[in-house]
Amino acid sequence: MMKFKRSLALTAAVFAVTTMTAMAAEKTKIEFWSNSLSPKFDTVMKDLTGKFNASQGDIEAKWVDVDWDAFLPRLTASLAGGTAPDLVNLPKPWMDELAQKKLLLPITKQVAGFKGNYTQGALKDVTYEGDKQIYGMPWYQVTGVLFYNKELLTKAGVKEAPKSFTELLSVAKQVKEKTGVTGFAPKLNDGFAGWFLYDGLPVVKNGKAVFNSPEHVKLVEAFADAYKSGAIPKDAYKMGFEEQIAAFDGGKVAIFAEGAHALKRTQTDAPKIYAQTGVAPFPLARGKTPFGGYLFVWSVPKTSKHADAAVKLGQFLTSDDAQLAFAKASATFPSTNKALADAFFQAGAKSNDPVAKALSTAADSIKVTQTLTVSGLPDEAAMNKKLDEAVEAAITGRTPAKQALDEAAAYWNEKFSAKK
Amino acid sequence: MKTSSSYTAIAYLFLAPALILMGIFTFWPVGFNTYLAFQDYSLADGTSTWNNFAHFKYIYGEELFHQAIKNSLLCLLVVPVIQLAALVVAKLVNDKLPFITLFRASYYIPVITAVSIAAVVWTNVYKYDGMLNLVLTWFLQKLHILAAGQVVDIQWIGDPKIAIFSVMGFVFWKGIGYYMVLYLAGLQAIPAEVEEAAVLDGANAWQRFWKITVPMVKPTILLCTLLSTIAALKIFQEVAVLTRGQSDTYTALFYVYAQAFQNYNFGRAAAASLVVTFFCMILAVVQFRFFGDKK
Repeated sequence: MMKFKRSLALTAAVFAVTTMTAMAAEKTKIEFWSNSLSPKFDTVMKDLTGKFNASQGDIEAKWVDVDWDAFLPRLTASLAGGTAPDLVNLPKPWMDELAQKKLLLPITKQVAGFKGNYTQGALKDVTYEGDKQIYGMPWYQVTGVLFYNKELLTKAGVKEAPKSFTELLSVAKQVKEKTGVTGFAPKLNDGFAGWFLYDGLPVVKNGKAVFNSPEHVKLVEAFADAYKSGAIPKDAYKMGFEEQIAAFDGGKVAIFAEGAHALKRTQTDAPKIYAQTGVAPFPLARGKTPFGGYLFVWSVPKTSKHADAAVKLGQFLTSDDAQLAFAKASATFPSTNKALADAFFQAGAKSNDPVAKALSTAADSIKVTQTLTVSGLPDEAAMNKKLDEAVEAAITGRTPAKQALDEAAAYWNEKFSAKK
Repeated sequence: MKTSSSYTAIAYLFLAPALILMGIFTFWPVGFNTYLAFQDYSLADGTSTWNNFAHFKYIYGEELFHQAIKNSLLCLLVVPVIQLAALVVAKLVNDKLPFITLFRASYYIPVITAVSIAAVVWTNVYKYDGMLNLVLTWFLQKLHILAAGQVVDIQWIGDPKIAIFSVMGFVFWKGIGYYMVLYLAGLQAIPAEVEEAAVLDGANAWQRFWKITVPMVKPTILLCTLLSTIAALKIFQEVAVLTRGQSDTYTALFYVYAQAFQNYNFGRAAAASLVVTFFCMILAVVQFRFFGDKK
């Protein structure tokens, strides 16, 4: 009898274990890749993943973080191998590229029910221009804010932060003349097309390159002039995110533009400079957007076998609460109207602390911010390279601006006509 | 009694582990790459279609690819320089002096340092306000070639005229230790008697180097020249970190990388890399003619 009971118990236990495994196996397992968030934002990402999994009965999401430099090669390899994740975190320009190559799933229908939550600007960014379909769910975004060294500006006799881009360049020149320190470090190493768009100048129109008009030439000449006078750094083309912060922290540059997260570095690395850092909105030009706007989105690769579950996860990650949680942890901004209206972002408006001030300044700018990018080019790598080389030659004074832009435009148009 | 066929079987058995690995990770990818070069490969659905040499026609007329090939061939200039320098350095550290292993090790350190890390360091050397310009400024001011306030501000990796040579300088620094070790092995295989006999015959150091050392390490010279030629044509990482292909330092493999991972055009990337392989093979044949054993 005892023996029978024991075997009964054993059978029951075995049965329970098998059903549990079977139930677990029935769960839809999806994998999602974030972009360069680990280890700094592990806590918030694990928390969000846990919350999502707890709220779902039949979906289990697995979070993986992939480094910026490895992201595209790894994603491409996994797409080719059919092992791509179900949801990927892409910056807007990459979303465009992948949508152009038909590697992403259009999710216009799937997001129809909740797309009204996102800001107009963000929604515009996730709509690929080529086919007017939505290819992503807007997530966090950043925008450029001007950070300036008050002491250097005062020394140069500048009383207030520049209000227009022309003024910004002339202030930079003045700082160089009066203090010997480089005035302004513009971001040039990511390509120049964004600067044209910032100034409201089109790059491509009706399938033709149009960046060699007198106005385009004038903008490039303004940069060339600033370069020649030393108002912008001699190695501006070598300066990325890290180098700009380092130059500002070292007192080698008076003004630069970044998101509030960059200033957090100054706070810890260069407290003396931090104490005299002023914050101002990045002046708008005719493109009516600050420079430095960048939106990250969640997209579904075309190979995903669980697209609906992936969209569900994307909807969760980009919901008001989840976005607010991530934004607070990372000093970035959400892309939903409700989350953006949270009192948290305006808390620093009257503060003297530069990071708090930067956050509230950016919160105002973010509403008009767009990601400045040109997409849908037939040979993007080569065309962007040609344009950037031409502009670099013009800015560093090796080629006249007009000639440089004419040559690049001719090259672009050759590529456009070869495609037809 | 073992037959010759069982010897062959055993030989293949020993070769098998390496051959299988090479087959999977080298031969198959090379073969597939060659196949892709003649196809339009669609990443979206994994299909590929024959395109009648379209990729080759495209890169034949592509100015950027010509520029990239030109830069890669220019990088070959580093080959004779690095070979001679490595041989001389190997000769110098082949003596039994105290602390000589320390010297050998320090020449080898750049080899084991990751390219990306070393390149970040060298970016700071080459910067316009970096170490190289500071040293030059100090030196030229000491010699009174520059006045007190004047500074050297050469854009070593920013000026298109010199950037590629700065990259080569980095490649030289990074690679010399590797070839030095190979030459050292070659040198140590030279019997001491030969050198002693030459000394007795009254040959000076210069003569001994050219008449004894160089001919006797010829097989190593062939190996090292071949390796460094291929390495020079394959320069990519160095450029990717130092200049990101800016300032006229775009190399052939940079083009391949950009076509694959920025344009997602794997067919065109495959075609371009096949052209690079072709150059490698031509140069290898030439070198075998020069340094190989004539039978």
